[in-house]
Amino acid sequence: MDKKLVIIGSGPAGMVCAINALKSGVAKEDILIIEREEELGGTLNLCIHTGFGKGNRTGTELATDLANQIKNYGIEYLVGTTVISFNKDKEITIVSPDIGYEKVKAEAIVLATGCRERSRGGLSIGGTRPSGVISAGTAQRFINIEGYLPGKKTIIVGTTNLALVIARRLSLEGGKVLCVCDARSKLQVDKKEIEECLEFFNIPLKLRTVVTKLFGKERLEAVELADLDKQGKIIRSTKRILKCDSLVYSCGFIPENEIASLAGVEIRKATHGPVVSKKLETSIEGVFSCGNSRFIHKDVISVMTDGKRVGKSVAEYLKKHKSQGGDGE
Amino acid sequence: MKDKIYDVAIIGAGIVGSMCAFHLSKYKLNIAVLEAGIDVASGTTRANSAIIHAGYDANEGSLKAKLNVKGSLMVEPIAKQLGVHYKRCGSLVIGFNEQDLDHLNRLLVRGKKNGVLGLEIIDEKRLHQMEPNVSKEAKYALYAPTAGIVCPYDLAYATCENACTNGADFFFEYKVDKIEKVGLSFSLYAKEKCVRAKYVINCAGLYADEIAGLISEKLPFEIIPRRGEYMLLDKCEKDTVSHTIFVTPSEKGKGILVSPTVDGNIIVGPNANIVESKADTGVTAEGLQEISQSAVTMVPNINLESVITTFAGVRSTPTSGDFYIKPSTKHPKFIHSAGIESPGLASSPAIALYILKLLEKAGLKLKERSDYITTRTKNGNCKLFCDMTEEERKRAIEKNPANAKIVCRCEMVTEGDIINAIHRPISAHTVDMVKRRTRAGMGRCQGGYCRARVAEIIARELNISVDEVKKFSSNSHILCGRTK
Ligand SMILES: Cc1cc2nc3c(=O)[nH]c(=O)nc-3n(C[C@H](O)[C@H](O)[C@H](O)COP(=O)(O)OP(=O)(O)OC[C@H]3O[C@@H](n4cnc5c(N)ncnc54)[C@H](O)[C@@H]3O)c2cc1C
Ligand SMILES: Cc1cc2nc3c(=O)[nH]c(=O)nc-3n(C[C@H](O)[C@H](O)[C@H](O)COP(=O)(O)OP(=O)(O)OC[C@H]3O[C@@H](n4cnc5c(N)ncnc54)[C@H](O)[C@@H]3O)c2cc1C
Repeated sequence: MDKKLVIIGSGPAGMVCAINALKSGVAKEDILIIEREEELGGTLNLCIHTGFGKGNRTGTELATDLANQIKNYGIEYLVGTTVISFNKDKEITIVSPDIGYEKVKAEAIVLATGCRERSRGGLSIGGTRPSGVISAGTAQRFINIEGYLPGKKTIIVGTTNLALVIARRLSLEGGKVLCVCDARSKLQVDKKEIEECLEFFNIPLKLRTVVTKLFGKERLEAVELADLDKQGKIIRSTKRILKCDSLVYSCGFIPENEIASLAGVEIRKATHGPVVSKKLETSIEGVFSCGNSRFIHKDVISVMTDGKRVGKSVAEYLKKHKSQGGDGE
Repeated sequence: MKDKIYDVAIIGAGIVGSMCAFHLSKYKLNIAVLEAGIDVASGTTRANSAIIHAGYDANEGSLKAKLNVKGSLMVEPIAKQLGVHYKRCGSLVIGFNEQDLDHLNRLLVRGKKNGVLGLEIIDEKRLHQMEPNVSKEAKYALYAPTAGIVCPYDLAYATCENACTNGADFFFEYKVDKIEKVGLSFSLYAKEKCVRAKYVINCAGLYADEIAGLISEKLPFEIIPRRGEYMLLDKCEKDTVSHTIFVTPSEKGKGILVSPTVDGNIIVGPNANIVESKADTGVTAEGLQEISQSAVTMVPNINLESVITTFAGVRSTPTSGDFYIKPSTKHPKFIHSAGIESPGLASSPAIALYILKLLEKAGLKLKERSDYITTRTKNGNCKLFCDMTEEERKRAIEKNPANAKIVCRCEMVTEGDIINAIHRPISAHTVDMVKRRTRAGMGRCQGGYCRARVAEIIARELNISVDEVKKFSSNSHILCGRTK
């Protein structure tokens, strides 16, 4: 299969990029979006809460809206299809239960692969390793998609948007959140979110507080909490034990760039995102990056702005590429 | 079933028990493996440094030295036969001063006497060519080109799966708590259950002394549980070092190491602290700090920000200082393998052969079978999608479209891999069992994305509900009922 433009990932970044590439002159039959999930939408599909873009819609509403635009414009897409690698010649290997193992040759590639959660490795919590300790993303999938409660008495570590949303969701679904704690002394999120997600449910917020130890051989039974002093050192006298059956952590996100780095795209160690030019082109010519796979954006509006920008610049690239004689001549 | 008398029962499916099962299953014998945990490698074999030591550490003339040198050479062919990841990466013990150099020279002499091949002391120039990230203050190193790395629990799975395929019976969550000698055989009880066998091998690791106690025998030494803590770094740090790097040893042990793993991560650890409970595999903030500091001394620019997980293992250190592999003083057909501390993993194939010799001496007949299957399953070695060549991937997907569904993104594990693991000879029916067999959830996000999906697949394949799926043991349920 040959395609002028292949966009990897159908989150808001990928879809907005496709729409803008089209608006900037790339023909609809020259664009292909590849998505490994069964539906277009990316992370938005997990978000059944409001707060996405203009009009304060839910994540799923925004996803549906963008996906409808893609369908109405007649832009081609493959779902349930994973890109497992690509190379400098922009030959892309895809796998899917329907089409099997295939190659797609592109003139330009946009990486809109989003991000993944950080593990709790960095938290260095001591003690045992029982079940009942899960990431916020896993909790979200269990609750919103599967309809199961990951715990009845939960402690949440981290104050990302996702952590707060989970605190609220757990309370709504019949669980009890004992507290939300964070090592930092200042919050990155808006006051409004604290009100809506925590205060409304009487969930205590404990800043400058860390979980130092887990108890429980099989299932989590309790955790040890401690306060930090101004230098970030544990104040021993504040150590206390809290009984609970689950701990949900949210340690932030890391851009997803495995296939990019395999292809040889230069990745910035500090951000885990690719090094890009002003045009958002990576170190490999004709390969672009946008959205959360470039760096972790503040919200979906800025992700969409990024997608827009890259849609335009990849269209320009393809125009220039064509006028220079394109491929293989 | 009740009246069946096995030829050999193996207590404990750690690496020693697994290797025994593997070697014994080549012969016409009925074998039972009794394991207290829910899975193979539930004990020390699950959490260690994974180094196939070359053999210069153990004292000359000790059983440890003999079995280490012999065993370490056997690991590679077994790994090849069963498709286990193994790499001969070589090791470097680095020294900073004259005193360290003296010590390295002593190790060199000892290693040569033990029969280790290719050992040499190298100077700082060569050291830094081989390992540009090692501290510039390091002046010498003992280079052991034969040292290697392996995936320890996969080596145990592979050998057990092969034994199972060749007819060995496995009993899990079978904690032997009473042993009786009835006539010519031993009755090995776990609560109400009973397995009978003519010969018994005690490979219960840290608990080998307790098993001896069940036949009223006191081993002539004590087993001291000494814990070692670890940190595992993200694959993006894979270029940190390419050999296993040790510091010159102290009384506490071989010292802390920084090493690549066969899967492309970097492992840092272990320290050595005596713990009260043999089951104490917890990590401590202090311990992690201790190993971090050592790691920085060896490799100053190591990026400890990219730790993806921490864990600990407990050594079964014998006060006598050497492996104890002997028949019971009460029953010649009951063999003990105890005090198997490091390099127990590297020595394990040779330990098993040594045990086979003892069994033969005690009267067990070893007749080779003609229908021996050399691989893990009748259909080969269950290669994972991520290890396949392009052609193999194509074929795998044609055969089963589930191989085109990537479930763990970090480690590229397919739904097909997971389904295979669930239906392999020793079924992976918990999230952790699937994780250790396929690496789903072992990557940078530590299952943040795939854990829920793995649970769903297990539930579907075993026809149970998702909230019945366990993380690793009977009470480690993952979910707490339905949402409102
Ligand atoms: C719980 C939660 C709450 C949030 N709340 C808000 C909020 O209230 N307001 C707000 O503005 N923002 C919010 N956000 C942020 C917003 O959802 C994200 O910023 C946005 O979805 C990121 O868009 P993206 O396109 O960069 O990545 P994603 O949406 O993550 O999309 C990436 C897509 O690429 C696909 N992909 C990746 N690799 C491959 C491959 N190799 N082959 C095929 N497909 C691939 C993935 O499956 C995914 O669908 C929230 C996020 C989360 C997780
Ligand atoms: C920190 C650390 C680092 C190490 N590094 C290395 C290294 O780099 N290289 C190396 O060669 N070696 C290393 N070792 C040593 C190596 O890991 C061990 O020697 C080896 O794993 C021991 O295997 P085993 O089969 O004797 O014991 P185990 O793996 O502990 O197996 C014993 C099994 O017996 C079971 N059991 C116990 N009681 C009963 C019962 N009553 N009934 C039924 N089953 C029972 C247990 O559940 C367990 O599965 C290290 C060890 C540690 C702790």
